[in-house]
Amino acid sequence: MLAESTLKGRAVTSVLGSLSVLNPDGHRGKKQVVSDLLLTALIDAFSILVIFLLMSFSSTGEILFLPKGTELPKAVNTAVIERFPVVKVDEGLLYLEDRRIEGRDLTAGLLELRKQWQETHPNEEYPGTLTVQADRRVKYEVLNQIVVAASQAGFADMKFAAVTKQ
Amino acid sequence: MSGGRRKRHLDFELNLIPFIDLLSTCICFLLMTAVWTQVGTVDAKQAVGGQAVAETEKKPTVWVSLADKGGLNLEIRDSGASKKYGKVKIDGLDGRPDWAKFETVMKDARTTDPQLTTALIQPVAGSLYEEIIDLMDKFRGVGVVSLGVSPL
Repeated sequence: MLAESTLKGRAVTSVLGSLSVLNPDGHRGKKQVVSDLLLTALIDAFSILVIFLLMSFSSTGEILFLPKGTELPKAVNTAVIERFPVVKVDEGLLYLEDRRIEGRDLTAGLLELRKQWQETHPNEEYPGTLTVQADRRVKYEVLNQIVVAASQAGFADMKFAAVTKQ
Repeated sequence: MSGGRRKRHLDFELNLIPFIDLLSTCICFLLMTAVWTQVGTVDAKQAVGGQAVAETEKKPTVWVSLADKGGLNLEIRDSGASKKYGKVKIDGLDGRPDWAKFETVMKDARTTDPQLTTALIQPVAGSLYEEIIDLMDKFRGVGVVSLGVSPL
């Protein structure tokens, strides 16, 4: 192009000529098809996720199964939940270890559990602890059946389930 | 240069693939085993009928009865704080117990008598489970840790 223009005698041409990397011989540069993924950002995100999930990890597992519609009350000063016999109130009905039970049979049911435990643990003292699980709106007249039955069956310690408020 | 020693590359790339595999496995495991609602327990003992009267040692105790419309009736027995707070009635606020006043009274009573660590709760038939748990939680918050619930 330059050879034919009016600048023919004045322009200085490079020794690189058409080998220029920036614009080789006037052709457009080809795009590179393969590109490296930025893995550092991905690993950062994964690490944050792992840390967050580890913080919410519970080694005790799910001891209580909450039925749909059941909302536990909230409390700040709670103890770690442990595995003890569970009496549940769901829609006004009582369940002992997920088995439907009438209020009048609750004492017998608890005594049966106690007997079974003593058969499997002959030389140990029975802990006499019961976990109570109920919706936060349940009235005490319903819970009273559990308190009375537990008292009659020798369950002196009662653990009321609650959601731990942070 | 011919015969010259080739320079070693000092920078090298870590193989990140196994690391990503490990993290992915960890995330899957933790997501599957995650417990989103932390369930704990508020512990109580049977208030009445657990022991014979003769065996029962007289400890400084707060008796609390839940009344209608969020009212609380406190009675401090066998304690140095009994004179100041023999019987206290705390009226409810909008149908809920007045927790601020309750905490003020209990903190002051505990300052007067640090041995005051026992409370017996007497709910009524209409008391909600939530109210009882709230009360137990507030007691534990002020250092009254030995709690009992009496039957109707």
